[in-house]
Amino acid sequence: MEKINRRKFLTLVGVGSGAVAGGAMLSGVGLLGGLSGDKSSGTFSFRAVSGLPGGALPSYASYVVQGNVDVAARSGVVARAVYAGYPGAMSTIALPGLSQVVRVTDVREAEGAVDITGVIDDRSQLRPGEDAVVQVRVDRSRGAAWTRFLGQPVELRLHT
Amino acid sequence: MADHLDEPGLSPPGGDPSIDITDVYAFKKGNKNKSILMLNVNPLTLSSSFNHRALYQLAVDTNGDARADIAFNITFSRPHSEQRVVVRRATGDDARENEVEGRRIISGRTNTVVSRDGFKLFAGRRSDPFFFDLLGFLAGFAFTGSDFFADKNVFGIALEVPNEALGQNPNVGVWGRTLLPEEDEHDDDHDDDHDDDHDDDLRQVERMGRPAINTVFMKGARKREFNRGKPHNDRAEFTGDVVTVLKSFGHSDAEAAGLAAILLPDILTYNYESGAGFLNGRNLTDDVIDIELGIVSKGAVTTDGVAAHTDLLGVFPFMGPPHT
Repeated sequence: MEKINRRKFLTLVGVGSGAVAGGAMLSGVGLLGGLSGDKSSGTFSFRAVSGLPGGALPSYASYVVQGNVDVAARSGVVARAVYAGYPGAMSTIALPGLSQVVRVTDVREAEGAVDITGVIDDRSQLRPGEDAVVQVRVDRSRGAAWTRFLGQPVELRLHT
Repeated sequence: MADHLDEPGLSPPGGDPSIDITDVYAFKKGNKNKSILMLNVNPLTLSSSFNHRALYQLAVDTNGDARADIAFNITFSRPHSEQRVVVRRATGDDARENEVEGRRIISGRTNTVVSRDGFKLFAGRRSDPFFFDLLGFLAGFAFTGSDFFADKNVFGIALEVPNEALGQNPNVGVWGRTLLPEEDEHDDDHDDDHDDDHDDDLRQVERMGRPAINTVFMKGARKREFNRGKPHNDRAEFTGDVVTVLKSFGHSDAEAAGLAAILLPDILTYNYESGAGFLNGRNLTDDVIDIELGIVSKGAVTTDGVAAHTDLLGVFPFMGPPHT
């Protein structure tokens, strides 16, 4: 059986150059898992996961949103991807066409949460009709994050 | 996601998508006294070859007890340029063993159609015939009519069989299984003798009858338990899981129990004298998702807006050529 290395795997899943870049970005931003930060520098990292679909149906896949954000500079990178497998048994198989890299354009602190605004510069990563502007709210006190998946609001659990 | 990527632990490098079943089909071949059985694996063709240590099996129940009475056992050689594929037909107790049993009925090379004694065989890369708006499903039934699988490939195993090879009773049940050696399942230190690669005790790692049963009804770790299960135990072991999901869509206790008794055991029921299609067997063009959406959602959702693929062939192996 031919072994599949990470780069070949990302290519094989057919996510295209944008998603391959997304995969590289996921490891490149040095995300620490959960929500961690450096108050002296004003940066923090987060990783949040939600099962898809939500609601009554058993989750089939995992929606992962993770980022590295500089609050003071109002910049950073957020990556979003969907992996086969429910949270807790998530695979490394990224579903093709669902990996996105978001360039952070604004960061605001409000009511104990952090509101992140960004834009998907690589339009090939957008689904038909999908807005390039992305909003993510991260609330450490509630252990949750919120964003949208294909236009539908999704609540994700912050992982610590 | 008829059954695509439903098994936790299939991710490379430790796991092996080539033994992940995507779909099972059973349908009558035109006006002939023949049937087509298909076992598709390797979603998104994440693996480059069939697993030479695995047993791929199409099981057939001929008497309604949800136990295999006939098994078509399919094995592959180590991958070189093409793999050698052998199909054996086992009956009786041999059909229920987790071993490579049975009389050899046909063999050939991957990606080539071969014929012998009324049987035909194809195993290789094909266009995935499954159609579904997967992203709409993930977004909570927000369907847009976008077919996620339209440009995807799988490894298809198609077997044309004379109906008498399915037993005398035309009402049969069909399901697929994949099995791996219990130990050293990813050990490559084996010689190149094709048959010797299958001498180890095997354990079932995947199974599927009807589409989306595991995907839709089994939650968390139950997915793996379901994949390890046997159809004759399904009603005892998994009715509760099915009922729970059905009730969440507004079905009453009685309705949910009644539907669960139809959906389980997870066997594709098939009368080989009928070309009626799903729920009688399953044709490549049957919109199984629309049928199941209506059942599960109690009529609230009746379609994902996606139709059958147009690249299907009119001749064996019927699945379209692979996308490049």
